[in-house]
This record gives sequence, C-alpha cells and structure tokens, in this order.
Amino acid sequence: MKKYIGGLLVSALALSAAPAFAADALTLQLKWVTQAQFAGYLVAESKGFYDEENLDVTILPGGPNVAPEQVIAGGGADIIVTWMAAGMAARESGVPLVNIAQPFKRSGLMMICPVENEIKTVKDFPGHTLGVWFFGNEYPFFAWMNKEGIATDGSAGGVTVLQQSFDIQPMIQGQADCISVMTYNEYGQALDAGYGPENLTIFNYTEMGNDLLEDGLYVLEDSLKDAAKVDAYTRFVRASMKGWAYAAEHPDEAAQIVVDMDDTGAATLEHQLYMTGEVAKLVDPADAKLDMATYERTVKALLDQSIIKAEPEGAYTTVVTDGL
Amino acid sequence: MSQLQYFLALVAGGLSAAAFALSFATPLEQGLLLKAFLGLGFLSLIRFYVPLGLWADGAFALLGAVALLTSVGVFDPTPSFFWIALVVAWLFAWLFVERLSKTLAPRLSDNGGLGLLIPVVFGAALLVIWEVVTRGANIPPVLLPAPSMIAAQLVNSTPILWADFVQTFIKSVLPGYAIGCLSGLIVAILVDRSPFLKAGLLPIGNFMSALPIIGIAPIMVMWFGFDWQSKAAVVVAMTFFPMLVNTVAGLNASSIIERDLMRTYAAGYWQTLMKLRLPAAGPFIFNALKINSTLALIGAIVAEFFGTPVVGMGFRISTGVGRLAIDLVWAEIAVAAVAGSAFYGVIALIERGVTFWHPSVRGGRA
Repeated sequence: MKKYIGGLLVSALALSAAPAFAADALTLQLKWVTQAQFAGYLVAESKGFYDEENLDVTILPGGPNVAPEQVIAGGGADIIVTWMAAGMAARESGVPLVNIAQPFKRSGLMMICPVENEIKTVKDFPGHTLGVWFFGNEYPFFAWMNKEGIATDGSAGGVTVLQQSFDIQPMIQGQADCISVMTYNEYGQALDAGYGPENLTIFNYTEMGNDLLEDGLYVLEDSLKDAAKVDAYTRFVRASMKGWAYAAEHPDEAAQIVVDMDDTGAATLEHQLYMTGEVAKLVDPADAKLDMATYERTVKALLDQSIIKAEPEGAYTTVVTDGL
Repeated sequence: MSQLQYFLALVAGGLSAAAFALSFATPLEQGLLLKAFLGLGFLSLIRFYVPLGLWADGAFALLGAVALLTSVGVFDPTPSFFWIALVVAWLFAWLFVERLSKTLAPRLSDNGGLGLLIPVVFGAALLVIWEVVTRGANIPPVLLPAPSMIAAQLVNSTPILWADFVQTFIKSVLPGYAIGCLSGLIVAILVDRSPFLKAGLLPIGNFMSALPIIGIAPIMVMWFGFDWQSKAAVVVAMTFFPMLVNTVAGLNASSIIERDLMRTYAAGYWQTLMKLRLPAAGPFIFNALKINSTLALIGAIVAEFFGTPVVGMGFRISTGVGRLAIDLVWAEIAVAAVAGSAFYGVIALIERGVTFWHPSVRGGRA
C-alpha cells in the first residue's frame, strides 16, 4: 500500500511537472501543397531543428482550395506562409496579420509566352489572352498591368484575362497566349514539355521590378502581445532558417525529405530537386529580415491598384527577427 | 392548448423571468428595449389565467427580434441574459407559428395568404439568429459575415453580380438547359421507336446518369475553350440523361387500353404520340425539367471552378474565398439561390398549366 501511494505521488509529481518540459506547440499552414517551395520548414521538421528549439511543430499542407488567411482567422494555425499582397488584403478584410519574417527575398513569378504568339514586349500584350492564377495570387499581375496602363476588364485595347489552372495546360492547348509560371515549379514543367528560353518570351517580375513580396511568415497581431508566443516564434524562425540553410547546402537530401513528407504521393524526386535548386535562388538563409525597400514597393503597388485602401499600420514587426 | 404549446409558453415565460432578473446587473439605460421585452415575456405567463391570442405571441416575437437587433453590440462583452433573450424570442416565434398552423390546418388551401406567413416567420427567425449571433459573439466576418453585411454587399456590388449572373445563367445555363432537355426528349422518342436502341442505349443512359458528370468539366474546357461554351456543354451533358430516362418511362405511362382505343380510331404512330402518349408523359417530362433546372445551375457554377474568364458566379465563389471577400461570396450564393428557385418556380407554374388534368394538380377535384 505504501509503495502504491508512493507511486501515485511520484506520478502526480511527474504530471504536475510535465508542462515545464513540454515543447511549445505551433501549427504552420503552408500556402500550397507539400513541395520544395517550403523545403526550409520541412527540413527543419525532419532533421529535428524544431525539436532542438523545444518546439512541437505541425505542418499543414495547403492546396488550391485552402486560403491560409482563413485558416489562421478560424484558429486553425498559429503561423501561415502567404504572399504579402494577399496578407495585406486580408488585413484590410479584418484578419489582423503581421509579417514576422521574410525568408523569400525575391519573387519567383514569371509570365511566359511562346514566340509564335509574336509577343516581344509588354506593348504587344493588348488583344491577347493572358493566364493568371487567382485565389490571392492575382495581385502582382494586376499591379503590373496597372503600372503599364493596360486594361484588364475585357474592354477594347486591353487584354483578356483567363483564370489559369495551376499547370501549363492553357499554354499547351493554346487557350492562352501567355501564362503565369513560378520559376521553381511550372517553369520546370514547361522545360520538360520542350519549351525554353529559345522559344519563349519571358517576363520575369523581379527583373522588371514588378515583384511583390512572396512567401513570408505571418501571425495574428494579438498573439504578439504574449511574450511567450513571441519567444516561440523567434525559435521557430531560427530553426526554419537553419532548415533553409541546410536545404541550400544539401539539395539532394532536401528533395528526398520533401518527397517523403508528401502524403499525397504527388511529389516526384526529380521535380523537387529542380525546385530546391530554384527556390535556393530566392531565399537568403542567412537573413530572415523583411527588406524595407521591397516592402514599400509592395505596399505602393497595392495602394496604386486600390487592392488596399489605406497605408497599412503595424503590418510587420521586427521583434521576432531582432531576437534571432 | 396542446402539450407542446403549453411547454413552449411555460419555458418562454420562465426564461424571460430569469433573464429579466439577470439584466438588473447592467446599468438600466443600456438596452432598455430588450429589458422591456423580457419584462413583457415574463408577464406573458398570465396566459395561464387569461387566454392570450396567437397574435400576441407574434407581437412578442417581433418585439424580441427588434429589441435584439437594436441592442446587439450595446453590451461589451455580451452578457448571458442577452443570449437567453435570443432563445426567448425564438421560442415566441415558434409558439406563434405552431398556433398559427394549428388554426389554419382545417382550411389549408384557401387561407388568404396567411399560410405564407409560416415560412416567412421561420426564415426571418433564422436570419435574426444568424445576425445576432455573428455580431453578438464577434465572429470574424471572414468566417461568417452577418446577413446585414451580405445585404450591403448585394447592393454595393450589383454591377459585378449582374455581370456574373449574365455570364453564368443567361449564357451557360439557359442554352445548355434548352439543348440538353430538347435532345434528351428527341432521343427518347427515337429510343421508344426502336427496340434496338431501347435495348442498347437505355442501359448506357442509366449508367451515365449515375456518373459525376461534372468531372468532364476540364475536358470540355479543352474541347470548347474556357468561355461559356464549355460550361454550356457541361450543362448539356448533365441535363441530357435525366430527360432521356424520364421521357422513356413517361412514354409507357399510357395504358394499353388507351392505346387500343387509338388503334380502333385508326390513328397512326405520330397521331398516337402527339394526342395520347406525349400528354400522358407530361408529368414525367416536367419532372425531368424540374430536376434539370437545379442540376443545370449547379453544373454551370461548378464547371466555372476550372479555367474560366474572370467573370461568372462559379469563378467569383471559388476565387472570392482566396481574396477573403467572403461577403461577396455569400451575396453570389444568395443570387444563385434566388435564380435557381425562380427558375424552378417558372417550370412548376408551366407544369400546372400544361398538366391540369393530372390528379396531383387537380388537387383531387374531379
């Protein structure tokens, strides 16, 4: 009996002490399906970098019908990966998102046109059909067209916009004269399909200076009032950047990790390897800070196009990246 | 007073009393109308001595709705008696509808429009609850906007909604519906004439009608381009088979003895078809037309989830979520619901005129 009570006491003590040792649980909602675009987070999870920081991270894959902004508003995630334009638009719609880190320094967005469509410069666009992704990915395109003064509402002298599927089919089937691609994903599909710089006209958003900030990490504003949360975010970003650095140094292993972590079985090693290499060109593993010049340009483009109506206040914070 | 009415009246009065007592914890001038309503609800318990008319319950429910809508957001945070008041208003509305339907039951067919009051009160109660809960519990609008927000969006975005309606309903649904139903009808007559087709095509038709036709939407985009033509093609495919199967069944609806009568009049195949068999198939054909009216709208909207021009109900519903324009998505859903109901209603009205002879329309009158 004494033993029994002793055992109870020990287990009660263990239980009461458990929270002190428990890892902080964080849920990350990705912007898209499990792929090398998120290699840093997947590698950090797989290699135990999060565990080293005493974090218990759950990574939720996204997809064509998942709006990360809605997931976080509904309490389904603590941190989301999203593009700044979509994040700012959500902020105005009443989801107070704040950028805490910006691993992606450059945009991977391009528009490609097969040369037979005789489009050499932006001036040749009017009268053609352009494929654009929607669901929060349409802002950079409309900001670009707005800057060039090309109408997108189907009026004469403007362009016809097609809601493009998330592949290169519209170009192959000739439904669109130009389509949107990401350097690290659909452009690879185009290369596989026999397209390349020699038979494509390529408009690269970054080179044109029309890039809007892409994959950043966003949290809800209220959670930043909690010092413990901010500390957890800081550890999360630190481990994630370690993951990005590891993925840049070991692309083969990173691609394999991505394939292993994809539950859908859609990811192929060859494509993920290509993506790992391309994403590495956009991410700076040594620096998670938000670049203010690109931030200002992103905000200005959104204001010019009245995607957002007012200059955002407190839409980013350095409190997390300062603590790295 | 039935047992249910007794119970409803008792609970409504009792909860009013409880909420009324709780409401004294807040300053008197806050939400005065709501407190007055609760006091009246408490007083309604008098009905166990002096009978109250059913219109009194209707007035209570209306007063409760107005009081809740005006005082939502006055309190911060929303106190418990506010939610009890919501339940009370719901109970009064229920009691009112319950008593009204009991009163109307003996004269269901001609009650001077009072019968319409029942679904109206029910719908209005749901809308009030939705409005009060979303605003009272501070539910983020990106998860569920209040009906008032959706209504405002309906008014503000009329040009967008109209353009979407024209693209989806006028350009995709109506042509697709007409082609699908007409070709289904013609093929059914061909099937009826030929034993070979009956044995060969009809089983395939039955099989096809069980397939999720919407899956062909991406293929149709490949064949017909991404504009309304491909959406209309999906609608044709979706509406064709229900029409075929129903019409074939309907053509056999006339009895052998009626067909024998036509033969004794020396009527030919076409005369028999036109004068006897097609009219007899009327209820079946209209059944297919009614099923197809809703199928066509659903088909066109879902087909617009894949490769579309940047206009259309389906496009707006699928991409609006990504832009967090949830109130616009709901406004679009409201337009689709009204359009679908009106479409169905028009077909049902035509049916009443055409198949006036059928017992279901005659209402049992000889």
